[in-house]
Amino acid sequence: MLKNFITIAWRNLYKKKLFSFIHIIGLTIGITVCMMIFLYIMNEFSVDRFHKQGDNIYRVMRRFDVNKNMVPYLAGTYGPALLNDYPKEIKQAVRVCPTHGLVQTADKKSFNEKKLYVADADFFTLFTFPLIKGDPKTVLKQPNSVVISQATAKKYFGNDDPIGKVIEIDQLYQLKVTGVSKNVPSNSHLDFDLVMPISNFEHYDWFKVWVNNNLFVYVRIDNPATAAALEKQFPAFMQKYMGADMEKMGVKFDLHLRPLKEIYFEPSSEFDNVRHGDQSVVYIFLSIAILILVIACINFMNLSTIRAVERSKEVGMRKVMGALRNHLIWQFIGESVLLTLISCVLAIGLLLLAMPWYNQLLGYELTVSWNAAPIYLFLAGVILFVGFLAGSYPAFFLSAFSPIQALKGKLQLGKSGAFFRQALVVVQFCISVFLIVGTIVIYNQMSFVKSKDLGYDKEQSVVIPLNNNDIYNNMRAFKNDLMSKSGIQSVSYMSGEPGGFHDMHTYEAEGQRDVFKSRSEFADFEYVKTLGLKIVAGRDFSPQMATDTTDAVLINETAAKKLGFTPAEAVGKWIKNNMRDSTRRKIVGVVKDFNFISLKETMDALVISPSDDRRVAVIKLKPGNVSSGLAAIKEAYARVAPAYPLEYTFLDQKFDTLYKNDLRQQTILSVFSGLAIFIACLGLFGLASFTAAKRTKEIGVRKVLGSSVQNILLLLSKDMLKPVAVATIIAMPFAYFSMQKWLQNFAYRTPLHWWVFVLAAVITFAIALFTISFQSLKAAIANPVKSLRSE
Amino acid sequence: MPKSFNNNMLSLQHISKYYQNGPNKAYVINDLSLDIEEGEFVSIMGPSGSGKSTLLNIIGMLDAPTDGYHYFIDQPVHQLKEKQRSALYKQYIGFVFQAYHLIDELTVYENIETPLIYQDIKGSERKALVADMLDRFGIVGKKDLFPSQLSGGQQQLVGVARALISKPKLLLADEPTGNLNSKQGEEIMELFRKLNKEDGVTIVQVTHSEKNAQYGSRIINLLDGRIESSITL
Repeated sequence: MLKNFITIAWRNLYKKKLFSFIHIIGLTIGITVCMMIFLYIMNEFSVDRFHKQGDNIYRVMRRFDVNKNMVPYLAGTYGPALLNDYPKEIKQAVRVCPTHGLVQTADKKSFNEKKLYVADADFFTLFTFPLIKGDPKTVLKQPNSVVISQATAKKYFGNDDPIGKVIEIDQLYQLKVTGVSKNVPSNSHLDFDLVMPISNFEHYDWFKVWVNNNLFVYVRIDNPATAAALEKQFPAFMQKYMGADMEKMGVKFDLHLRPLKEIYFEPSSEFDNVRHGDQSVVYIFLSIAILILVIACINFMNLSTIRAVERSKEVGMRKVMGALRNHLIWQFIGESVLLTLISCVLAIGLLLLAMPWYNQLLGYELTVSWNAAPIYLFLAGVILFVGFLAGSYPAFFLSAFSPIQALKGKLQLGKSGAFFRQALVVVQFCISVFLIVGTIVIYNQMSFVKSKDLGYDKEQSVVIPLNNNDIYNNMRAFKNDLMSKSGIQSVSYMSGEPGGFHDMHTYEAEGQRDVFKSRSEFADFEYVKTLGLKIVAGRDFSPQMATDTTDAVLINETAAKKLGFTPAEAVGKWIKNNMRDSTRRKIVGVVKDFNFISLKETMDALVISPSDDRRVAVIKLKPGNVSSGLAAIKEAYARVAPAYPLEYTFLDQKFDTLYKNDLRQQTILSVFSGLAIFIACLGLFGLASFTAAKRTKEIGVRKVLGSSVQNILLLLSKDMLKPVAVATIIAMPFAYFSMQKWLQNFAYRTPLHWWVFVLAAVITFAIALFTISFQSLKAAIANPVKSLRSE
Repeated sequence: MPKSFNNNMLSLQHISKYYQNGPNKAYVINDLSLDIEEGEFVSIMGPSGSGKSTLLNIIGMLDAPTDGYHYFIDQPVHQLKEKQRSALYKQYIGFVFQAYHLIDELTVYENIETPLIYQDIKGSERKALVADMLDRFGIVGKKDLFPSQLSGGQQQLVGVARALISKPKLLLADEPTGNLNSKQGEEIMELFRKLNKEDGVTIVQVTHSEKNAQYGSRIINLLDGRIESSITL
């Protein structure tokens, strides 16, 4: 019996190739997308789960403003002090300073390493990063030791044994390789290529200061209750060590413990230099997966029903030959399961093909392997669930007919059946319309962000990080050299380029009782000129004013407003940086507001001060020849920092990094909404061909009575488009509210234009109409004699 | 003239089939009684809409009458459940249709085999039975062809072979030659006569053709759901 069923199922598939293709491919795409997203989600939730002590590790977080995210950076003094003050509670404390450095090997190869960790000797005993060579307990004991990853070892030494080899870091530290670690998987928030002992830095003065925050502190506390109790003691701890500093700055810092497993998804500032996930992206992905699977299942079910109805004669005959209802039900369910099985096999193939592209889309290699047990469980679930569900409707529906009816081929899919199928199509198109609106809105918003006038000139500006001592110590020479070149318009050193780092500082200001908190920029006198800012009141910094370096600041309009002044009033008032300055400075000018932070945030107050803190150089090239300007920069850079390769970005590229996640969401959403509407249209196509076939006689009669091809086309399309219209109407409010919500992410946003919805509706209708017209046209131009003869 | 009860293949007593059409009843079969003995070859004739096919379907248990009593080999069919009815007819009744109703996706061999599958007969036994049947109908060479590759007459031959594979006592045929040319029709009718005479299969056929009706042993004329005349030849 089984063989008979499989034979007939197979021959049915084979006989109607196009239909079978539609039937299977829709589900295949659905399953593939789901598996992709499933893998992604599994990967996201597997982050940091591999640490053996994972449950007992916490990262110590610092908070200075209840309304802002906590900051993970602490000074080097915290770790030992915590261990010293709470020996009972804290079993281990490991400081990790993510940094970068120039690595030179004995054979004079040099590498600019971005993932250099400076850490306590306990690093490899606290975290479970397996070592291929070396003992976790001792690898970092000696100051002149270093652990490198497998890939790094290969890069430096090829196939030679790296143990005992010496490398030089930043032309300063001679380190001997004592261990080789496995490459860090993508599901770890920490990510390193080299780890060197922190003991190399402990003797520096800057390392012993409590306000110099540049590293993470991880602690091991073996009991959650202890951790909670410990947090309560932290205010006293801060008072003890930071009391004087905090008073001086007029702020209060507070410490918290963040469990290791929560680090990945914690709300973070963009300056937390570890891998972070975005839970909202996970949820968006998950919803898309569910929506697409729903569409695919609906498709599958609709097409199964249609296919089954076309086989009513077979059903009738089988009944006459003695098949019981059970037999037929199992036959249909079996076929449905067979189809899902085929889809699953195809989906696995498709997944393997799409994997490289998918990793690229995600921006990293998925660690979770595609053939892990949960994937198989998922597939088995799909086969059973979809196969049974999709198969059971036609099975129960068809097997209930009396054989006479079935044999006559006059199976009327009842009113309720038709309603049900239309309802399913409505659901499919609701989802499609929703996704299309989403795609348009996101695209719209991103191009708005891209084209918005940010208030500064971002064209032809090169950003160079001042990230090594050579360039840092020769800043002046570098600048002079550049200014002598013809292609360079201006050069400015600053603490953060627009879109980059703008630290929050506290100020005292004229007429203010409370501490005034403001973003701060530390920059030289060319800042305003290089960025093309506008001065709305007062004047720019000027080299002619001898006292500007020590006595002057610029503020932006928002800062003036927050201080309660008009720009004109603000000029001449005093302000004092509590952390940096011992004397008051005078506000000499007010610059027009410009978007120095992401457009997701509202305009903030900014104080621009010439005091020391230079982290990047922004070099404005003269209009025209970019490449000659770049060549000049390279040359000048090589003269002052010959050991380091020049790294540069363009200021207008900042856009891509700032909105990386949103751009990724945009890509993903457009790809998946494309797929969703494709699958939905496959279903519509099937339904259209079914309807056209069912109405063959009607069409024949109408044509005999004198109806034109256009009339018939209109008649058929009108009926098919009705559910699409209903779907569009239903989907619009949902789309409106969710996109409204998404736009809340941005402080600067485009309004939700009415035309977005019209466009989405037009696109949906155009695609649906296109799909339907194939079958309708075929039916409409058919010779009526033929269609009538078959009755 | 009461007949010996045991000799009856089937007995319909006061059978009616009607559709409620508002306050009116539209009768397809109107208080019809009919007994058919084992070994008979009955031809049912009558104009279109006289209820021939409905009567045949009722006899074959594919359709249920609205009223009346229906006995088949002494079993009260009107009291049986679907499962029991199905068991009954799959054991004793074979069907032949005007449009053959072969399953397009199955080969000749598989079409003939299908009824056996539903009777839970083992594979090896099925093979033997089907081979026998193919041999008997002289279509061994066509066993791997699909219905669409056969002529109408050949398709009907397969249809008859399929109807006979489970060795039914009663063969029901609804205009078996309706779609065939006269030569093919004659062949099928000869086959029926042979089955009736040599194998003792009871046959009830619906036909429009006076000539085909003559092959049987009794002709029943229907008009408006009633028996107008019953002529034993």
